[in-house]
Amino acid sequence: MQASRARLFKEYKEVQREKAADPDIQLVCDDSNIFKWTALIKGPSETPYEGGVFQLAFAIPEQYPLLPPQVRFLTKIFHPNVHFKTGEICLDILKNAWSPAWTLQSVCRAIIALMAHPEPDSPLNCDSGNLLRSGDIRGYRSMARMYTRLAAMPKKG
Amino acid sequence: MEKPLSEQEPAVGESSGSCSNPNPIPGSIAAMDDFDWASFRDDDIMQQHSAIRAEEAAKVPFVGDKEPLSSLAAEFQSGNPILQEKIKLLGEQYGALRRTRGDGNCFYRSFMFSYLEHILESQDKAEVDRIVENIEQCKKTLQGLGYVDFTFEDFFSVFIEQLESVVQGNETSISHEELLQRSRDQMISDYVVMFFRFVTSGEIRKRAEFFEPFIAGLTNSTVDQFCKASVEPMGEESDHVHITALSDALGVPIRVVYLDRSSCDSGTLNINHHDFVPGSNSPQEGAAQNSDANTTPFVTLLYRPGHYEILYPK
Repeated sequence: MQASRARLFKEYKEVQREKAADPDIQLVCDDSNIFKWTALIKGPSETPYEGGVFQLAFAIPEQYPLLPPQVRFLTKIFHPNVHFKTGEICLDILKNAWSPAWTLQSVCRAIIALMAHPEPDSPLNCDSGNLLRSGDIRGYRSMARMYTRLAAMPKKG
Repeated sequence: MEKPLSEQEPAVGESSGSCSNPNPIPGSIAAMDDFDWASFRDDDIMQQHSAIRAEEAAKVPFVGDKEPLSSLAAEFQSGNPILQEKIKLLGEQYGALRRTRGDGNCFYRSFMFSYLEHILESQDKAEVDRIVENIEQCKKTLQGLGYVDFTFEDFFSVFIEQLESVVQGNETSISHEELLQRSRDQMISDYVVMFFRFVTSGEIRKRAEFFEPFIAGLTNSTVDQFCKASVEPMGEESDHVHITALSDALGVPIRVVYLDRSSCDSGTLNINHHDFVPGSNSPQEGAAQNSDANTTPFVTLLYRPGHYEILYPK
């Protein structure tokens, strides 16, 4: 508990210091609880998520960084490796390939990379995975684009 | 871990199998504010894993008590005759063993206890100074590879703390009994394991050219992928590559005695062992400091396929 708090505090300081370095990621710690964080990440360019801003929720276990943070999308997203309802993310570094060498910041970068490079063979969203697996790139892109517009872009007017 | 994003791509694919969707139809955009973390399916799996680990923990502590070698013989009483014969041979040179939990970290936990126990018993201050210097070098290696200090420094300081405690004559000095307790303490033991994993990974990456062919033969992955997937995560088992790297990085010779079913044609059984001698693989680091390596290494481990334990010479 004490160790995880100390580590998170270091990450907090690093995030403040590096704010400008990664304009695609904005990590914010809960005012009253260092084990709760949120992040705003920009959808990577040349993907259906471009122009969208996606919110992630981090719940950090007491054994952090020996155990990974639990991360999910709060913003609706149509992606093969993200559960459409719960926002759960299928990413190995958040499960069995986690190591303390990762940070909240680098986890965000890995999630952005996952958005750009979906893995349709281990889908949490089968519809999305099936579109990609059947080669219907256009269908996948248009669905993903629609949800980006609906959920991840500021409403006009 | 400031790796280009493209390098993270292959690792992502390894996650297959851990996720599946029971509810494939996109529903309406549901409010997720009241989402219940406990309904995570992968979370359930991880909880089950930790339950299995807890069950295992009840059977064997991270590091067990010292047992006479006869307990090994008893274990194989009705087992393979080659193994029975080899255990007899083992008994000619070794008097006792100390078991470790088979949780994928057994090599590191065995090494931790065996090394610290040696320092505690020998009070070899020159060796302590030497390893502290090597550890400082390991820190620089990681920094040079782009690791952010705060990701590894806590693990380093927990090990240094243990090292300083086994040196007697300070307020913080600990007894053998306390060393055993600490080695069984989840937090201390796991942090030391992670320290070794960082050191091992740093050494492999630093000498990627040397390790690359071994890794390619082992897993068909790149050095970076190997370190990320098979060295740095807790619970990933150790092989020749890991042991070579850790022994080289810390400058500590390690003897591994093999207890397996292999036999040779001549009919006479031998107990094979392999000595990992630091520097012997890397000409640039000079073998000079270890030229007197014909002394027996003070860390001796018993390897049974898939598991490491501590062996005590007679």
